[in-house]
Amino acid sequence: MADAIIRTENLSYVYSKDTPFEHVALDNANIEIEKGAFVGLIGHTGSGKSTLIQHLNGLLKPTSGKVFVEGEDIWENPKEIRKFRFKVGLVFQYPEHQLFEETVEKDIAFGPKNMGLSDEEIKLRVREAARLTGLSEDYLEKSPFELSGGEKRRVAIAGVLAMQPEVLILDEPTAGLDPKGREYILSEIKAYHEKRGATVILVSHSMEDVARFATHVLIMNRSKVAMYGKTREIFSRVDELVEMGLEVPQISRVFSKLRADGVDVPDSVLTVAEAKSTVLRLLGKGGGR
Amino acid sequence: MSKEKFIEANRISFSYPSYDGTLPHLVLDRVSVTIKEGEFLAVLGHNGSGKSTLAKHFNAILIPTEGTVTVDGMNTAEEGKLYEIRQEVGMVFQNPDNQIVATLVEEDVAFALENLGVPPEEIRRRVDEALKKVGMYEYRLHAPDQLSGGQKQRVAIAGIIAMQPRCVVLDEPTAMLDPKGRREVMSTIKQLNEEMGVTVVLITHYMDEAAQCGRVVVIDDGKTILDGTPREVFKNVELLKKRGLDVPQVTELCYELRKEGCKLPDCVLTEDECTAAIENLLKGGAQNG
Amino acid sequence: MLKDVTFGQYFPGDSVIHKMDPRMKLILIIVYIVMLFVADGIIPLMLGVAVTVFAYALSKLSFKLVWRCVKPILPIVIFTAVLNIFFIEGDPIFQWKFISISERGVITAVLMCVRIISLIAGSSLLTYTTTPIALTDGLERLMKPLAKIKVPVHELSMMMTIALRFIPTLIDETGKIIAAQKARGADMDSGNVIQKAKALVPILIPLFVSAFRRADELALAMECRCYRGGEGRTRLKQLSLSPRDWIAAAFMTAALAGVVLLNKFGPAVMVL
Repeated sequence: MADAIIRTENLSYVYSKDTPFEHVALDNANIEIEKGAFVGLIGHTGSGKSTLIQHLNGLLKPTSGKVFVEGEDIWENPKEIRKFRFKVGLVFQYPEHQLFEETVEKDIAFGPKNMGLSDEEIKLRVREAARLTGLSEDYLEKSPFELSGGEKRRVAIAGVLAMQPEVLILDEPTAGLDPKGREYILSEIKAYHEKRGATVILVSHSMEDVARFATHVLIMNRSKVAMYGKTREIFSRVDELVEMGLEVPQISRVFSKLRADGVDVPDSVLTVAEAKSTVLRLLGKGGGR
Repeated sequence: MSKEKFIEANRISFSYPSYDGTLPHLVLDRVSVTIKEGEFLAVLGHNGSGKSTLAKHFNAILIPTEGTVTVDGMNTAEEGKLYEIRQEVGMVFQNPDNQIVATLVEEDVAFALENLGVPPEEIRRRVDEALKKVGMYEYRLHAPDQLSGGQKQRVAIAGIIAMQPRCVVLDEPTAMLDPKGRREVMSTIKQLNEEMGVTVVLITHYMDEAAQCGRVVVIDDGKTILDGTPREVFKNVELLKKRGLDVPQVTELCYELRKEGCKLPDCVLTEDECTAAIENLLKGGAQNG
Repeated sequence: MLKDVTFGQYFPGDSVIHKMDPRMKLILIIVYIVMLFVADGIIPLMLGVAVTVFAYALSKLSFKLVWRCVKPILPIVIFTAVLNIFFIEGDPIFQWKFISISERGVITAVLMCVRIISLIAGSSLLTYTTTPIALTDGLERLMKPLAKIKVPVHELSMMMTIALRFIPTLIDETGKIIAAQKARGADMDSGNVIQKAKALVPILIPLFVSAFRRADELALAMECRCYRGGEGRTRLKQLSLSPRDWIAAAFMTAALAGVVLLNKFGPAVMVL
């Protein structure tokens, strides 16, 4: 309990309340995320996951319920809300929505500047964030608008990393990127998670990616928290996930079919590497039990 | 009836003009592709490989700096044939928002026909038919911003097929969609090809989409590196990975197991194939052990 | 909110007024405005008000909507009334120090208020019962003759259509940009005017960059669909005038004639 870096209490959010367009986007969400976790957040478009993450850094104010960051109720003093935006860094899906400065360096510095840091500190942080996202020195002088899609995304992430948030939330950071670009971004995030001991919430449609990186999985369905638990535990419930219309990793589907056909394989094979060693083990044991 | 050489790119090169006197970068480097009428072709490549540039040559948006492109015998460099070519080869783009012109679904689908001066009764008939084909007829009186990404993309496809083109080129039509939208669009595209006999050229970096096509051309660094059926292409697991592309998980698993000396088919593409192959392998293993 | 720009004004329905041809509605609204300004007495103006009430009744829309469109211009109405009451000279009916109010002033003020309110209520009825796209369409066709004197009628209407199409998209995008910058600690609510203006830069630049990119892509998509200007273009929807349009026209002409007659021969008491 005490370890929870983020906790929500009966959190609900209603759009356009008291109009004909009223829509409950988040319905009584109770979650507790422990410090240092890497959470994969999965759900359909419109499942409430975007609404949820925008509550965690105070971009949206709950219709009812509470959000706690490190045990503090973030809306206790609404004037102080910006403090939590630095603590809980949120990177949105499209980097085009935030890049605006003449140079990459200035753009990354926007967050730290808003924190009121000294020029030296800002400079230091910008360089560190750039290094973390694999942007070399000569990128810093470039205009963010002349970069490729993948590079823009790295700048956008660096812009949030420079605030050195304790919780890093990323909304589909790899959408639309090719395998190479995707791999790059995901390994950066993993590095930040490991080196800084930061808590990460990764919103993704790709169960493959979540399976590879996340320690925990949070599933949103129809504005409600449908499941939350350890990655392996959640992905062993393949049938339920399929029922919600979610994309299960291809490899998990194969193993689920194998089990259905009466082959004795574990119920939570998530990655190709795991599948390979499972099959080899079964073969090595001569078919096993 | 079907033409062996419906679209023919003959050793085409393309570079964007350079304004600062530096040597122009060759985006396409002597690429040759021949597309048969009725074919379902995927052009696979990572971001910046030149695949979108190649696609833009198929309906005379771009004219090669060297070499020729012919569509149904018409040279795309011939200006007089421009509208004829664009009527035969329709194009759907990545961002569904930026290709819908009108404020009403049915008016948007009618746009091309209005431009071509088709009589109103004929427009009505063809618009309704196109909307039914993509399963969006019930939404004909909706505003585009009330639709999901997948639905918008299907409206865009309807707007193209209303012109009754013989070929549709889709430039990463699913890159900005969620899994549900991607499924909707992919099944619409397949239906175009199978039921209406429209030639489809799908530009993508998703290997699972390419695996569903009849033929895959892999572009890297402006050159064609592989060309064949998905089975022939995805056999080259190492090569594809080295070029920053992926193969389906099941293909990779079987490839890895084969490397370990397991007796598995040469190139596994689908989940069912993989399940059957592994079941066989494990049974065989049990007998041997 | 801002989203009202495109659809908030339109209230779907299937009344006679909704079904009328947008061209006829546009013409009649002009006749209506002329009528309101021709009416120069309480009695003739009452006829104009009656026309407004009748049209609202026909549209089956709630009369509350009148209040909705009048509310924003209420300050102007009151200001006009005050000006007329205090500054039109005549036989004073009330006098206190330097303030004098004449009967003529009061009557003029009432007339002005009724006129402005009717004007707004009437033209709002047009937007309440006609989609923006139908309005644009109607305008384009009405102005078609102007194309002969090189007025780019088709281009103007295409621009209108595209603007209407993209307003919701850009509004949505603005919301997302604001959220993204706030997530980096952008402070938009405090500070003086200059600081607030400066805080807009991180919003406006991404918005403009995106709008230009959209324009570029849209142009390409339009070219791929063989767009080449207005020449030789046909339309999916043909507008046709039905009997109800002609009846409405006859009715409005009668109302205008009535107003003119009442001006001339009506009870002279109220005439200014």
